[in-house]
Amino acid sequence: MSVMTEGPTYGYEMTKRLRARGLSIVGEGSIYPLLGRLERDGLVETERVASDGGPPRKYYSLSPAGEHALEAGKREWHSARDAIDAALELTKVEV
Amino acid sequence: MSEFVDECRKEWRRLGVPDPIANEMAADLTADIEEAESDGGSAEDVLGNSAFDPRRFAGSWAFARGVTAPPAPPTPPSPNRRWPTLAFALTGCAALLAFAAAVLVGSRQSSASAVSVRRFVGGPKSVRVFPSSPVVLQHFDHLPVVALVAFSLLVVGVVGIGLAVLLGLRMSGGRIGPWEIRRHQAQTGAHWT
Repeated sequence: MSVMTEGPTYGYEMTKRLRARGLSIVGEGSIYPLLGRLERDGLVETERVASDGGPPRKYYSLSPAGEHALEAGKREWHSARDAIDAALELTKVEV
Repeated sequence: MSEFVDECRKEWRRLGVPDPIANEMAADLTADIEEAESDGGSAEDVLGNSAFDPRRFAGSWAFARGVTAPPAPPTPPSPNRRWPTLAFALTGCAALLAFAAAVLVGSRQSSASAVSVRRFVGGPKSVRVFPSSPVVLQHFDHLPVVALVAFSLLVVGVVGIGLAVLLGLRMSGGRIGPWEIRRHQAQTGAHWT
């Protein structure tokens, strides 16, 4: 969802953006079911955009509900990361 | 790569995905795969491991979009379904073992009686297994019973093992499709000819 904040994107372009950030989640599965779930839950908005010479592509962007979900997810992640960092620091001291 | 998209389409049709949605997903997939290939990559760059299992991929995507029921997990064969296979296999193995024992016993008796027959009777006789059977057993005076038992055990053993194999193949699906072969090649680097 975070990569969608860079602008509307389609499936393959999203995998390229993720890889550019060192995340290759596609190896474990496909991004399409994930996008399908986000669409079903109303977290993304879709738009058909004509492409050069090919059929129109489906572009995904965050909906207002998706932006809220992203912010909530970030807070949750930071909170979990801080807790884990604290636990690891404690372990270092004990060692 | 249209073969992959075709397989997905078949699965969506089987699952009852409405045509407009299936067409949309197929178009997106085709466009992305073509772009990956024009970038010098492959379908795996777009699909990951799903590139080797179009049916599962198509099912999970359709479910994620909310147009089908969740994909059913593969169910192991129930003990009740395994019973006949096990019974046929055990019967077949037991019959073949008994056949081997009968052959051993028969060959000992045969050599003993061959000597005695040559000395006192003058040679072997032959008998048909069944009145109209083309199978003829060479035997001596007290051998037909052993030979018939051995032949019957052989038939029971072969039929039992055969039925067990057939049932086992039906329970496991019994098919190795092109996607399983490709998955195997991708995982092991092996190439089947």
